Amino acid sequence: MNKLGHVINFTYRNKVKNKSFRWTTLTLAVLLLVGLNVPYFIQLFSGNNGEDNMKIGIATSSYNEIATQIQQAAQKQQTLSSAAEDTATNTSSQAKDTQLQWQAKAESESVLRQQVEDGSIGGYLLLQKPTTGDVAFPTVTYVSEKNNAKIQNLLQTATQTAKVQYIAEGKLTNTQLEQIGTPVIVNQTSIDDLNKSSTEPKENPIKSNTENYILVYLLMILFFFSLTITGNMIASEITAEKSSRVMEILISSLSPLTQMFGKIIGVFLVGLTQIASYGIVIAINLSLPYYQEVLAGFDLHVSNLSLNVVGFGLLYYVLGYFLYATLFAAIGSIVSRTEDLGQAIAPITMLTLAAFYIGIFSISNSDSLLMRISSYIPFFSPTTVIVRIGLGSMPIWEIAISIAILLISIFFFGWLSARIYRTGVLMYGKRPTLKELRKAMKSYKL
Amino acid sequence: MKPLVLNQIIKHYAGKTAVDQLSLEVEAGEIYGLLGANGAGKTTTMRMVLGLIYPDEGEILYDGRPYRKELQHKMGYLPEERGLYPKVKISDQLVYLGQLRGMTHKDAVQSLHKWLERFDAMEYLDKRIEELSKGNQQKMGFIAAVIHHPSILILDEAFSGLDPVNVEMLKEVIQELRDDGTAILFSTHRMEHVEELCRNMTILRRSKPVLQGNLRDIKNTYPREKVVLRTAHPLSGLSDIEGIVHVEPQDENGRYLIHINQEQAAQQILQLAMQHGNVEQFEIKEPTLNEIFIKVVGNNE
Repeated sequence: MNKLGHVINFTYRNKVKNKSFRWTTLTLAVLLLVGLNVPYFIQLFSGNNGEDNMKIGIATSSYNEIATQIQQAAQKQQTLSSAAEDTATNTSSQAKDTQLQWQAKAESESVLRQQVEDGSIGGYLLLQKPTTGDVAFPTVTYVSEKNNAKIQNLLQTATQTAKVQYIAEGKLTNTQLEQIGTPVIVNQTSIDDLNKSSTEPKENPIKSNTENYILVYLLMILFFFSLTITGNMIASEITAEKSSRVMEILISSLSPLTQMFGKIIGVFLVGLTQIASYGIVIAINLSLPYYQEVLAGFDLHVSNLSLNVVGFGLLYYVLGYFLYATLFAAIGSIVSRTEDLGQAIAPITMLTLAAFYIGIFSISNSDSLLMRISSYIPFFSPTTVIVRIGLGSMPIWEIAISIAILLISIFFFGWLSARIYRTGVLMYGKRPTLKELRKAMKSYKL
Repeated sequence: MKPLVLNQIIKHYAGKTAVDQLSLEVEAGEIYGLLGANGAGKTTTMRMVLGLIYPDEGEILYDGRPYRKELQHKMGYLPEERGLYPKVKISDQLVYLGQLRGMTHKDAVQSLHKWLERFDAMEYLDKRIEELSKGNQQKMGFIAAVIHHPSILILDEAFSGLDPVNVEMLKEVIQELRDDGTAILFSTHRMEHVEELCRNMTILRRSKPVLQGNLRDIKNTYPREKVVLRTAHPLSGLSDIEGIVHVEPQDENGRYLIHINQEQAAQQILQLAMQHGNVEQFEIKEPTLNEIFIKVVGNNE
């Protein structure tokens, strides 16, 4: 269809040539550039938050033995974890963990409190007699100005070790104690990954989820934002054509279906151009030495990405785009003035928001009933299915049904939207009610 | 085979009848006038001719056959509120609109240049519509309607908003197109344009055709009821002549305007005037279309 090409070409060229479009794209690219480099500059100015080492004290009246045990356990744990070189967990970041330096002798609480206030120590442990229960083991409180979850975690494990030691009353050997002190790690992996790693053994099967997690997240954000931007573009372009009455010439020149899909595809390409330009900015940034270091710290590998997620992600992205785009086009066609557009597209914006949030909030619970149902709802499936494919398990037949439903919906809503479009573009004045629209639609043939 | 035939068209719109039993025929090389007050159904009729909406009853035939897709390339349309993209370069959008009407890029560019030269508007080629005056925007809208050499041209209020110089220029162009064999359906409020351009016409009143046919014939069926007379000296005894309804006093140039209801009264007026001295001007006015229009549309309102 030659005319389709003309419409796509005209839409694309005019949008990309448009000054305001160029400025928005450029501004966003610059913001992205700055945003991506903010962490680098913050680190440059403040170093590692100045917390490579932190002094810590212990205040206790009658639990000296337990205090020493906690201290020893904590120290042992820190030496172990720094020696382990972060291979077991992926929680480590580029910044080194803060090393605790314990004060040699126990001081009274008032002295330590003073020291925390004037900043000579980072915090102290307060061992107190418990108000209820067994008085033999104290309640432990960590007093500090800074809220550091890692240190709290460390102290908790150390206290746990000390408690075991106390209960065992020396019946355990040092090696056993050490083993108790080592934090256990529960890895999570899916059956797919497990099967894969049995045929081609991987060093860390668990790793593959991190990349997919990021990918799924990115795909959802990409879907939501590009849909919002391009959807608005489609609707406002159509409304503008209608309010400038060029529409009357257009509809007498070519079929509304060609016109609508030409516009949708043209704007889709505009959206891709925009995404590509941001992609280039991100790629350039990530290739900077600073980011290379950070990425190396995350230990991410492209090879760990599931091809399923990439493939289905793109498929659902495109299908989802077309489903929503036809709706945006239909709305654009029934509004006469650009000022009224925002209100009119609100329902569709709500749908995209719902799709986005169902996906985001279920990212850690990808096989819930909500997700299973949403995978069959065409408006939500573009986000929910990639979450399920990427992070949960979705049988292939479920995917097939979901895609079939999505395709049928595209045809149905495409057809409906084309009819609304055909009718709407000739209705001026106030926005027609559904009833008026349905009535008017009867007098048009496609 | 006539390029355009409307046969007993009926169109209902939101519970009302927008066009009621309209029939008309436009020949190649003819400008057909469609007259009517606002809301009389002119634009609806044109949209039906363009195939944008379909009549509920009756049929529209193009060269003897019903609407078909290829007509998109054969019809040109200038909408009442002419529409072009305000922010797109003239050359870009007119070539685009030409392409949508089935032209190649090269042909569209050539045709555009030819038309811009015809309208003496070559300098607007790289301008945007919003930078042009209203009259020039209208010329561009007209070019958009004719760039693809349509054989059926539909002009909705083509002259509104143009200054006299441009009205003349556009009139010339439309007459040229007519002489080239284009069938033109033309709507307007301005009766003098119809009188100058059209051979046949229809007056629509509240969706119904109330007066239809050849302009000459229509005028002849309406009696001549006005006499203009200029004499050197004031005239007395006019009111004694039978058939005179009312004599308007002389205007600054010494002209009488005499309303009559019998045609022979005119001859008696002339005789009377000649008896009294020199007659400088004598004319039996035929009714203007405007008067006919007001008579037909204005009554029973």
